[in-house]
Amino acid sequence: MSLLNEVWQAVKAIGTGMATVHKRVYEEAPTEFYPYVELDLPPVSVQSLALVENEDGTERCIVCLQCERACPSQVISIERHRNPEGKGFLIDRFDIDLVNCMYCSACVEACPVSSIVTIQDFELSTYDLHTLKADIDFLHEQARRSKKWYSPKLGVEIRTEDGRIEKAPPEMQPGGLAELLKPAAEEEES
Amino acid sequence: MSSTIGLEPVLGRSDEMIVNMGPQHPATHGVLRVVIGLEGERITRAVPHIGYLHRNHEKIEESRTYFQVVPFTDRMDYVSGTQNELPVVLAVEDLAGIEVPERAKMIRTMFFELFRIASHLVWMGTAMLDLGAITPFLYTFWDREIILGIVERTAGARMLPNYYTFGGVRRDLHPHFFKDVAEFLDHLEKRMPDYEHLVLENPIVHARTVGVGVLSKERAVARGVSGPVLRASGVAYDVRKAFPYDAYPEVEFEIPTSDAGDTYARFWVRFQEIYQSVKILRQLLEKTPKTGPFKGRAPARLKISGERYRAVENSRGELGVYVVGDGGDKPYRIKHRGAAFSNLQVIPDLFIGAKFSDAIAILSSLDPVFGEIDR
Ligand code: SF4
Ligand code: SF4
Repeated sequence: MSLLNEVWQAVKAIGTGMATVHKRVYEEAPTEFYPYVELDLPPVSVQSLALVENEDGTERCIVCLQCERACPSQVISIERHRNPEGKGFLIDRFDIDLVNCMYCSACVEACPVSSIVTIQDFELSTYDLHTLKADIDFLHEQARRSKKWYSPKLGVEIRTEDGRIEKAPPEMQPGGLAELLKPAAEEEES
Repeated sequence: MSSTIGLEPVLGRSDEMIVNMGPQHPATHGVLRVVIGLEGERITRAVPHIGYLHRNHEKIEESRTYFQVVPFTDRMDYVSGTQNELPVVLAVEDLAGIEVPERAKMIRTMFFELFRIASHLVWMGTAMLDLGAITPFLYTFWDREIILGIVERTAGARMLPNYYTFGGVRRDLHPHFFKDVAEFLDHLEKRMPDYEHLVLENPIVHARTVGVGVLSKERAVARGVSGPVLRASGVAYDVRKAFPYDAYPEVEFEIPTSDAGDTYARFWVRFQEIYQSVKILRQLLEKTPKTGPFKGRAPARLKISGERYRAVENSRGELGVYVVGDGGDKPYRIKHRGAAFSNLQVIPDLFIGAKFSDAIAILSSLDPVFGEIDR
């Protein structure tokens, strides 16, 4: 009797398992075809760092060293000299060791002019870690390649077709909910 | 005898075999090594060794400013992301007297519970993998992927978001956050019966877990375990109820407990916790204002003196931190109290006398994460 019972239990368990698995067979597979289909990552996603230049090709960075001070991993190293004509400083060297960077985006938050930004490009896999010791040209190139980037002060910015830099529409911004809701609220009042 | 540290063969007991389980054993959830004495299939002695993932968290954090400490804490219990940041943030907020807006507290709590579900889903998959079932693992990671997507859209990273900060959170919610979470909860509620069929009601799981590795109430309290392991032994202790923080006083939920104390009870308690998390999240989705402040005023440079212990209930139990400030902008001392570390102390209690294959089931029911244990 108990043997019969056990056999019945086993059959029932296999049946339940099969039925559960069967339900899922017809669902859409969650597989990503990454290298062939580019992923559309949210604009706030931190995948890499870049140094943005202005539209006219001048440097946005004012070399204030805030990012260097803020970095918990201490991987940013900057050297600067006084600008002989006019105010401020000029960059001698701007290196980020992207191997030891932990992509916490503390530097991006510290930057007063949104020069250092986070981008969604994650094509940095390499066999040679030395290629990830990013210098200023590397960081500029990263910015030129990317279509959108994020920094807390200016929000998400996009590069338009003709090379201009614009603020992204509210639905791309984090906290864009406030801005999306605002027009509706105003209409109700009027 | 370096291969059997802590467990020397006993003279005259030639029937005992000494075996290393781990650190590369796939069922040890990372890098646990247990030196086990076996008599046939019975375990006679067990000595756990940890430290293979040691990264010196506490000392590094003492040489960083308070703002720089937070991203490091993420790397402890890497399965439950933002949950690790909260104790440090709470302790420093207490010491510096920083006010947190109500909405920020609710956002924090929502992320906290999302990560609890994510962590329990990982546990469910890996525990079943240890017992020899591959399918649940694929399903749970599929669902966890949705949570990580929601988190990434707001916080900027999937596993180690560095999202909480002193006074609130770093940035406002994504415009679709409320809709995404509501959709996910509906989806999860449809999935949960499947998981119950595959895990809790499965006769093989019953055969391997019921009555295996019984941890008595007294032993659990004496060893200082917490979280689902403690509650499965019949102690209704939960930091969320005992010392409420953030938005927990405003939501209703129960503490599921079981008196059995065996491996199955620990499985069952984690399942019930997922249901409770869903309940908390649904209440918070209702209560949280859609817009409003997400961050209070915090000074750009924190100078703190005094000491403070704050604890939270993360997916594994009581995760605490003890912060001592000496008036500078760096902590004088930071001590983390890891839940998984304390839960691991019951290994000799539960292993000795069990069969070797039961040891795997017992270990998976403790749900250790070695980032946090070794720190
Ligand atoms: S992301 Fe974090 S670790 Fe990386 S450079 Fe910036 S501050 Fe340093
Ligand atoms: S914080 Fe910004 S402006 Fe200052 S040095 Fe860094 S990148 Fe340049």
